[in-house]
Amino acid sequence: MKQYSDLEYLRLSKGRKFLYGLGRFFTAGIPRFFKGIGLAVGRFFKRLGVGIGTELSDLFLTFKNGDWKTRSSYLIMGFGSICRGQVLRGLLFLLFEAVFIVYMLTAGGYWLSMLPSLGKQGPMEVYNEVLDAYTTQYFDNSFKILLYGVLTVFFIIAFLYTWRLNIRQNRIAEDILRSGKRLKSGKDDLRSLVDDQFHKTLLALPLLGILVFTVLPIVFMILVAFTNYDGTHDGYNNNLFTWVGLQNFNTMLSWSGGNKVYAATFGEILVWTLIWAFFATFTNYFLGMFVAMMINKKGIRIKKVWRTILVMTIAIPQFISLLYVSKMFAKNGLINLFLMNMGWIQQALPFWEDPTWARVTVIIINIWIGIPYLMLIATGILMNIPQDLYESSRIDGANAWQQYTKITLPYMLFITGPYLLTSFTSNMNNFNVIYLLTSGGPTNSAASSVAGTAGYTDLLITWLFKITTGAEAQYYLASVVGIMVFVVVALISVIVYNALPSIKNEEDFQ
Amino acid sequence: MKKLLALLLAAVMVFALCACGGSSGSSAPAADSGDAAEAPAADESAAAPAAQSGGSELAGEYAITVWVAEAAVDLTTKQIADFNASNEYGIVFNATVEAVGEGEAATNMITDVEAGGDIYCFAQDQFARLVQAGALSKLGAQAAEFVTANNDAGSVTAATTGGEIFAYPLTADNGYFMYYDKSVIPEEDVDSLEALIADCEEAGMYFSMETDTSAWYMAGFFFGTGCVSEWITDDDGAFVSVNDTFDSPEGLIAVKGMQKLVTSPMYLSSSAGSNFASNAAIVVTGTWDYETVSEILGDNMGATDLPSFEVDGTEYHLGSYSGCKLLGVKPQTDATKAAALHRLAQYLTGEAAQMERFEALSWGPSNLTAQADEEVQANPGLAALIAQSPYSVPQGQIHGSWWDLAKVIATDVEAAQSEEDLQAALDSYRDKISALFEMSEEELNAWSVIGGIAGTSWDTDFPMTEVEPGVFQSDPLDLAAGDELKVRQGASWDVNYGVDGLDGSNLVVDADGTYIVQFDTNTETLSLIEG
Repeated sequence: MKQYSDLEYLRLSKGRKFLYGLGRFFTAGIPRFFKGIGLAVGRFFKRLGVGIGTELSDLFLTFKNGDWKTRSSYLIMGFGSICRGQVLRGLLFLLFEAVFIVYMLTAGGYWLSMLPSLGKQGPMEVYNEVLDAYTTQYFDNSFKILLYGVLTVFFIIAFLYTWRLNIRQNRIAEDILRSGKRLKSGKDDLRSLVDDQFHKTLLALPLLGILVFTVLPIVFMILVAFTNYDGTHDGYNNNLFTWVGLQNFNTMLSWSGGNKVYAATFGEILVWTLIWAFFATFTNYFLGMFVAMMINKKGIRIKKVWRTILVMTIAIPQFISLLYVSKMFAKNGLINLFLMNMGWIQQALPFWEDPTWARVTVIIINIWIGIPYLMLIATGILMNIPQDLYESSRIDGANAWQQYTKITLPYMLFITGPYLLTSFTSNMNNFNVIYLLTSGGPTNSAASSVAGTAGYTDLLITWLFKITTGAEAQYYLASVVGIMVFVVVALISVIVYNALPSIKNEEDFQ
Repeated sequence: MKKLLALLLAAVMVFALCACGGSSGSSAPAADSGDAAEAPAADESAAAPAAQSGGSELAGEYAITVWVAEAAVDLTTKQIADFNASNEYGIVFNATVEAVGEGEAATNMITDVEAGGDIYCFAQDQFARLVQAGALSKLGAQAAEFVTANNDAGSVTAATTGGEIFAYPLTADNGYFMYYDKSVIPEEDVDSLEALIADCEEAGMYFSMETDTSAWYMAGFFFGTGCVSEWITDDDGAFVSVNDTFDSPEGLIAVKGMQKLVTSPMYLSSSAGSNFASNAAIVVTGTWDYETVSEILGDNMGATDLPSFEVDGTEYHLGSYSGCKLLGVKPQTDATKAAALHRLAQYLTGEAAQMERFEALSWGPSNLTAQADEEVQANPGLAALIAQSPYSVPQGQIHGSWWDLAKVIATDVEAAQSEEDLQAALDSYRDKISALFEMSEEELNAWSVIGGIAGTSWDTDFPMTEVEPGVFQSDPLDLAAGDELKVRQGASWDVNYGVDGLDGSNLVVDADGTYIVQFDTNTETLSLIEG
């Protein structure tokens, strides 16, 4: 679609402006987005290539130009430092090397060598004739091999980095000595840790924590998607599991293969997940804002009482209230029995039995839970809007609706934009509400043959849960779903984040 | 000072990270005991000890964990103490008896076998999964003999897969029948499904039978018309085939009967005995709800066998599943402990222990002598179960996916507008069941290596790839001298090759090493290439 100049654009009618905007989004916006990604990836690899090149040439030059102390440091880490009097540094390097070598010889080598196969010898059943009893001998453990294998790879990367650091240290030391200055002593090093290197002291522990408790599990979980790790291949007690390449992604995205139509189920659940996230976020947002405005209105009395009543839903744990509400709406629950006893309906309403009813019901119940939070947030923000904005708009003759769309809403959106985004993504993963209310039901008979048997109100996250706890405990498929969820959430977040007024026009309300 | 504060804050952050990280980490199947050095050589040689006559060599103290249902904790603790006092082998168990419900026990065992109880109880539908998961220890010859001789046939089937017994029957009362409210349902109507539905509709009260969400109850309609659904499992608990006639003309009759119930406005898909408190007149459930129901209904409680339904002028009595609870022993690495645990398991499932359990908890016994006991026969819940028993089908092993595949029949029947819709629901069920064993064209033509190699015992196919037309090679395999192997097509023995051609004898490896197995379909020769 051709891009109009500003003048041409302004001459268009409102509808055409919209169509133009939409057209440009698809013909220019999206291609530009992907072009941007492509360029970024290209730049990354270029920089990576250049980086590796300089590192290698630097390694070579340091060796060529260095003295014998430097050269021996290529083999014995920290040798140069010790010889030049930086004993503490040198010893630390040496210690690290020693630990690395001992680890690799005792355990690391095994884990690493097993990583490509994830184990060779599964458990064996042995019959003891004398005691008339079967015993089991266990050998390789694929699960541990994968976990410790990844850890070992991390450790090797850390070692390579330290080795490189050790060589750079030598070069720097040589340069300093050549320029006639004094090298830092061990005492200086220690002092610098609470002085100019204080940031490293602070970040060492948190970084280690993130690596072990966040990065490692994520890498592990992603790798599981490329194995056949499931209930019958648990890697130790029954069968070893092994790498299967992209087979699981193939399963998830395939339209064929008997009745196991995963792609259709996945698509259906994804669409419902997006619909749910959209409604769950925006119904709460606007209704919460509306309630806050109502309560804030001049002339409304006993404001505190209204707020307290609403906040009561927060006070009761969701687990309890959701399970209770789920029973209330059941076919023989309070609500249906009441309506029937009053004679208003003849048959029970199918709140949880009919797909559409169930979907609407979960959204409505979610409103009941979500409004109080939004009301609290909105109350604070609404009180912050400068009253003179309203006053001057009233003098200009604006009515309440105009005030809302031109002042309140832009202000709210500006401040709560990031909140909206996070609540959208967290609603996509809103396990509690869905699982406690419907457990994903009612059953979708078309999807009964996929792992975990998805129902009509299942979100990707509840489906994932069902896959892992289902009849065959297919951890690998769950991992694939997890990766897919991440991709979807990441895409939406990146696009929306860059479009947020609070990011784009930072100056607007300051 | 500020720096100290910053350092403290950083430390706090780390602990916070550990706390969150810890919980997110545990969502992964736990990998405990991170001792890297110990795992590579974790083979505790379980060589047979010096041969002596059984018994005395079992003497010793063993620390074990036992998982039983909460209600049975005290009784089981007492029974283990009795065993310690009375057994002739000198075995003493220091048992920790934990309350882990039957459903939960199976899930926990499958998630983490190592952390599981040494002896645990579970419902029979979990049996095949547990065998597959390597969570059950096979019974020795003497123990197997004990199980077959003392328990009813249905219970023995439940503990058997591929001809091997893996567990001890504990109860045989996992069946369902009908509780009803005598003040609403006239006595003469209890044998007719149509009359019962009419009574419920008239009274505006629910007929509660969990057909929508549980295939276990749903299947009763099919068994009533003579349909069968039997699964065949092998020694590893894996499912190899199924004999299922739900899509037959009898099946169509069954769904017509089901339609009468599920399309009634007063039908409720639930099996909770507590429904009597919320407007139900009939609940189909089992003995476990006896207390609940009698508390709510008091003298108005009725319990009887399931009713009959009428299609095209013929009466069909609703069938049911009859199942049992089993007691299993976790695989052990120490033969003596394994043997001792099996002795205890036999004691806990023997006649005396089952009778004690009946008296204390009203659990219906699977032991033949105990079943014949007068008191057992007189128990009202069990009496209804016995009345239903001529129409019930022993549960056997059922594929885990079946429960989900089958339960949608009820949902489909509810939505069906015509007889074609009913047949379509059954056909779709048929397709899904067949798909469980279906192989693609590609899989049927694929060649694979199989044998007693790399820790497998003729149960794992190693895939081969076509390197040039008609020539297939495996990945490099670590083979030991004396290993035997063959190649076969489509993971079945219909087409298999050994050293001397079709159906030939096994190829035997001469020396240890890493080999690529090659099979040339043009010349029909099987060979090893050092790789």
